[in-house]
Amino acid sequence: MPQNRNQFIDILIGNLANAIVHTILEKSIDKQELISKYRNETINSYDIAKRYREKINPIAEPFPIKDISYIKEKLSNKVRAELNLRISKGYQNINLDLINIEINKALKELSIE
Amino acid sequence: MEIIGRISRGTKMDQIYIPKTRQGLNPGDYVVITPLDKKINQKTKEKPYFYNVKNLEPIKMIIINNIFSIIEEKIRNYKNIIITGSFLETGSDFKDIDIIIIGNEKVNKGEIEKELEKYLGIKFDIISLDNKTLISGLNSDPLYQMMLSKCISKKRFLYKIKKEINYKLLDLHLLKSKNLLEGFSLMRGREKYYSIRNIISIKLFLEKNKLSNEIVNREIENIFKISITDIKENMIDNPKFIKNYNKLYNSLFKKIMSRTKNASK
Repeated sequence: MPQNRNQFIDILIGNLANAIVHTILEKSIDKQELISKYRNETINSYDIAKRYREKINPIAEPFPIKDISYIKEKLSNKVRAELNLRISKGYQNINLDLINIEINKALKELSIE
Repeated sequence: MEIIGRISRGTKMDQIYIPKTRQGLNPGDYVVITPLDKKINQKTKEKPYFYNVKNLEPIKMIIINNIFSIIEEKIRNYKNIIITGSFLETGSDFKDIDIIIIGNEKVNKGEIEKELEKYLGIKFDIISLDNKTLISGLNSDPLYQMMLSKCISKKRFLYKIKKEINYKLLDLHLLKSKNLLEGFSLMRGREKYYSIRNIISIKLFLEKNKLSNEIVNREIENIFKISITDIKENMIDNPKFIKNYNKLYNSLFKKIMSRTKNASK
């Protein structure tokens, strides 16, 4: 079961990272057509993350500090890596300062922190 | 049996001549005669348009007609209503019914979804968009092409796809399939199938192939040497599959990223 918990946490991180990457990409462009697609993708990934959150104990309370640090670090690395990769390939106006803001926001909304 | 005949003038009474060799409609039978034009009008009013749907269970047709009339009551100025997704596959292996409402008016999706669910007891997922967005989606988005490759619509719709490749959009779609590599052991079969279908539709789109469920499924079976049923039932041979999937993901990512750079300049 603890092994499952760790795997659930990893899937949760994957989906949250996806949601945050798309939120930040959405803020970097002004093409309305693409903005709505980024927004939809954020919502979908966030909904999946939420479903996995509901499977991880403690369900109604924040996670232990050790878990929070692990999630924050892994999320931050993942999101930064995806965004840096895109910056190196020519994506413009990506604000990396938003990473921690969006991570904190998401962890609060999902009652992880 | 239906026979179309023409009323001809007689001396004392008018008559309709019908062929002597026929099945049914025997001499002495009572029949109803109705004007053909009215019947045609009535039929065209009620009959939806099928696109690549070869068979559909009668009960589903009843449901579709109900959907059309409930939506028509709610929205007057729509351009078209399209039913798509797994509901149109044979059997009852569907989670919800996907509906696309085309029109210029803003639609209260939630309210219509609730209304439909209340009357039909099934979950609905409505997308509402205008014609311009639909056409642009069909030109540049593999998901739109997949969605409309098999559908039933209230009114006839014709479109010509002028393929445009939007690399940023493909990057967005491809990122969705990355989670399969990380959460493989805990994902359900159906989740895995959607990730695989997504990545394969991007591959085919980049290769400028036509997209449909059948084409994508065939390509999945061909590349991964595994049946769609086995994927959906979560019976994938783990290490070999992941290796192939990873290879495909990386090659598509490289391809898209190299073009994104050129597209952003």
